[in-house]
Amino acid sequence: MDAVAFAWLSAGLGVGVTVFGVGTGIGRLAAAALEASSRQPENAGDIRTTMIIGAALIEGVALLAGVICILLAVKS
Amino acid sequence: MNSDSTHHEHDQQSADQHATEHGAAAGGHHESEPIEGGRVFTHLMEELGDHHELNIFFGHFDILPVILVDDGLHVYPNVAAMEAAGAYTLQHPDAHHKLVSTTKKDAAGHPATPSLDLSITNLVAYQFIAIVLVLGLFAAIRGRYTREPGAAPKGRLANMLESVVLYIRDEIVAPNVGTIKRANGLMPFVMSLFFFILVLNLIGLLPGAHAATGALGVTAALALSTFLVVQYIAIRDAGIGAWFHHLLGGAPIFLAPIMVPIEIVSLFTKPFALMIRLFANMTAGHIVLLSLVGLIFFFKSWLVTPVSVSFSVFIYLLELLVAFLQAYIFAMLTSVFVGLALGDHAHEEHH
Repeated sequence: MDAVAFAWLSAGLGVGVTVFGVGTGIGRLAAAALEASSRQPENAGDIRTTMIIGAALIEGVALLAGVICILLAVKS
Repeated sequence: MNSDSTHHEHDQQSADQHATEHGAAAGGHHESEPIEGGRVFTHLMEELGDHHELNIFFGHFDILPVILVDDGLHVYPNVAAMEAAGAYTLQHPDAHHKLVSTTKKDAAGHPATPSLDLSITNLVAYQFIAIVLVLGLFAAIRGRYTREPGAAPKGRLANMLESVVLYIRDEIVAPNVGTIKRANGLMPFVMSLFFFILVLNLIGLLPGAHAATGALGVTAALALSTFLVVQYIAIRDAGIGAWFHHLLGGAPIFLAPIMVPIEIVSLFTKPFALMIRLFANMTAGHIVLLSLVGLIFFFKSWLVTPVSVSFSVFIYLLELLVAFLQAYIFAMLTSVFVGLALGDHAHEEHH
């Protein structure tokens, strides 16, 4: 395999790993928020807000990884 | 295997050809050579971005002024006038990522590009449109609020905008900065950010248009203004001494060589993450739509169309959600950062 093939391969694998990590992270976050707001429905609003902030921060890292993968793929 | 690969190449070629035709229709009046395979994606990413033409729905309007700095200032009312004047031509975006080239040649024999292209491109035009829309909407409901302060809103527009404004103040800004009074001080900035980003995102969902928030320059400017506001509020609220002390991150003074670089980096990572988040979110949807529609051209079959179109509609609706969500998150994170910078309430203990 030449360098270009490796770049494509690493971009694809990178996206996979990123999605796995972020899916796990946001999944756990949502599960915890759901549990918390079903225990204390009166705090559901606050919990949702905090969850969205957390999800946005996790997603920010994911998108950074995604951008790196895109760069790997298009710079070939 | 050999015939298979040629077939594939042929497909790729025709997809490229299509992309080129689209590009030529959007970008100008030029015959352009097909793009080599593998470049189609980058090419389309460039095409999605800046044009020298305003395009909304199926219309391409050559009404945007071209401003070039190249041995002096050259201003033309539109691309046709620029080409008629003769010194510059519009070329298809090539490896140089520039749309305008001069008749002069550079050292390698390629057409040279002007040293600075300050043209009002379509993304800039969308931003002007967004500014006019936002100012217009609020100017339309302004009268009643100045005549009778505190009165209940009247009319659909006023009700709609007031509910959004109150939501931003009471649910986004106030919980983060502490008090309603502080929130009122920050509201002009956060609200401008929210509505500007929202309108730009929604313009990006119009067929033919592109979200200006899907360009790194735009999001960088928004993030930079957030950074400046946050630092200004931090210094105004606590003083410059406390601001420098904050660089220690609460650690003892002998840890300064470690803590100060970390804290300085963390000053810049927050707006950087804001910038990347908005850009990547707005671009990602377009890329997914592009890939789904591209499936039709890849397989060259009508049978793919129902799948492709239904998934596209789904992603489009998801993008509608994302358009609102990203404006919300940008406003929310801005007020979170301001709350962190204020640092004289509950957030202080966290760092």
